[in-house]
Amino acid sequence: MANVKLTGVKKIYDNKVVAVHDFDLEIQDKEFVVFVGPSGCGKSTTLRMIAGLEEISEGTLQIDGEVVNDLQPKDRDIAMVFQNYALYPHMTVYDNIAFSLRLKKMPEDEVYQKVTNAAEILGITEYLTRKPRALSGGQRQRVAIGRAIVRNPKVFLMDEPLSNLDAKLRNQMRAEIILLREKLNTTFVYVTHDQTEAMTLGDRIVIMKDGYIMQVGSPEQVFDTPRNLFVATFIGSPQMNLFSASLVRSGADSYSVRYQNITVPLDSDRCALLKENGVGSMDKVILGVRPEHMTCCFGGEGNAVHSTITVNEMMGSELHLHVAAGNDRNIIVRIPTIELDHERRSALVHGSPLDFTFSSKVIQLFDPETEQSLLWK
Amino acid sequence: MIQSQKSETPSMKRHMGMKASSRISNTASYVVLVLISVIWLIPFVCILLQSFRCESTHQVGYIIPQKWGLDNYRNLFNTNFPRWYTNTLITALFAAVFQTIIVLCMSYTLSRFRFKMRKPLMQFMLILGMFPGMLSMIILYQVLKDLGMTQANSVPGLILVYIASSGMGYYVSKGFFDTISKSLDEAARIDGATRFQVLMKIILPLSKPIVIYTVLTAFMGPWGDFVFARYISFNVSAGMNAAVGLYGWLSQDQISKNYTMFCAGGVLVAVPVTILFMCLQRYYVEGVTGGAVKG
Repeated sequence: MANVKLTGVKKIYDNKVVAVHDFDLEIQDKEFVVFVGPSGCGKSTTLRMIAGLEEISEGTLQIDGEVVNDLQPKDRDIAMVFQNYALYPHMTVYDNIAFSLRLKKMPEDEVYQKVTNAAEILGITEYLTRKPRALSGGQRQRVAIGRAIVRNPKVFLMDEPLSNLDAKLRNQMRAEIILLREKLNTTFVYVTHDQTEAMTLGDRIVIMKDGYIMQVGSPEQVFDTPRNLFVATFIGSPQMNLFSASLVRSGADSYSVRYQNITVPLDSDRCALLKENGVGSMDKVILGVRPEHMTCCFGGEGNAVHSTITVNEMMGSELHLHVAAGNDRNIIVRIPTIELDHERRSALVHGSPLDFTFSSKVIQLFDPETEQSLLWK
Repeated sequence: MIQSQKSETPSMKRHMGMKASSRISNTASYVVLVLISVIWLIPFVCILLQSFRCESTHQVGYIIPQKWGLDNYRNLFNTNFPRWYTNTLITALFAAVFQTIIVLCMSYTLSRFRFKMRKPLMQFMLILGMFPGMLSMIILYQVLKDLGMTQANSVPGLILVYIASSGMGYYVSKGFFDTISKSLDEAARIDGATRFQVLMKIILPLSKPIVIYTVLTAFMGPWGDFVFARYISFNVSAGMNAAVGLYGWLSQDQISKNYTMFCAGGVLVAVPVTILFMCLQRYYVEGVTGGAVKG
């Protein structure tokens, strides 16, 4: 059990490409932290630096208070699960799990006990004599996890462990990782490009882009109060709708947003934040509203944006409508199907009109130049 | 029913036609292959048959011996042949062991480590490999002579020469190692293995074909070498290997009394290699082609 502290960590490759810039983060003991971001954002590189597989160019890495920059991976007391499982193909499942214990010259009966114990936790006891090639993807991933937990490491590192699995198995393994985490109760650092995994697994999420940390926070924080446009659009699926709007400050404490033909007065919390940040009236702001926060106006309410449906996606439990309003082409409106009766659902087809609006309590506002949130505390 | 039969007829005909044409092309290729192998085998069969010929020792105009026996093989032991054979075996074994170790270490290093001069080193070795080895003979002879490793003491000299440049033969095994996922190395290193343990416990067990290929090629070079062995032994019988020694029996004054013994010696030289290849040919082919097709 340990905390991990990265201070000013930087990764510069030989060709002078900087993969990670001044990475500062303190991961608490027993915390589950997820690094998430698009390909090439430096999340795996950071994880590999923690593992000791990549050299740290600048800055310090501490595990349990000890600087481990120059320690070999084996001396850092960490375990890692790889995206492609990295099971030793010539060894049986038992030998794969026992490999690290045997390297430590542990007595064979103790090895047996630990391996069978880990296999029981992961439900792979019956496969212990098989070679990895005789296992399915999910079973292989369990063996890879077994190989990691058998060592009882201080820190558990996982590099996109579910991305090689099909969607159904991924959901199942995700739930198993949550249960495993409860059982092991240790520090986890998990890398993924899938924001759903990040949201469901992490105590805290570190969102990265181009080697920089964009935001660190709990799933609720990054979802509800994104720090910038990147975080706002990266977290949430389908992604947040962005509109070109204007912000009007009327009086000292009141603000409203104007988009096309509608004006939405902002709630007191948002007004207070804007005032605190010294924001005045702005001709151009980026207004962000999540698809699930859009309200359809089937009754022809006055204060609504008029749009036309371009694509209708039936997802089962909900309907995703792609609509066009003026110059904004790809606006997505998400409606739970349970809220629609058959007649209304059949009217929502390509080409038919749809009026929508949104509440001021759910909107986000961004500076179009800096792309930073105007509502950031 | 009739209609369906009618509609099937052209496709069936086509199928039959394809079958017949593939049978013809198969037969043709077998005939050609059998012919090639017969032509290829004739010298070997001749030598094998001549080695059992007891009625005379000189070259004759027929292949099948009139009197069969093992006299030639027995007589070999009254010559210097056992010494030549031992020389060859010692040289080949030592060279095989050391060359394999060097080649595998070199390949692993170039496949897995990233260091400053890696690429220039590889390019340098590629260019160096383009020069014929013969060019180095004079200087190597001088060096070995100064070290006292020529003539009767040529065995250690030959071993030294064979293993000295062996690192340059890393291409095939490096190609093979490159196909083994690096995450296996990383997983093993995190599991607590040193680089050497990674090589021994993970990479080599996964590279059996390439290890066998390397051993075989390392053994074959010295086993069949003639030019360099002859040059280093410099006509001193005690320092000769089997190929050089046997060649001496083909000189004009020796051929008439030693020809059949030469054939027997040739057979004895060929036997171990043939057995080795028959046992390990599966790995040998995998080793040569493995790096190319493994994803």
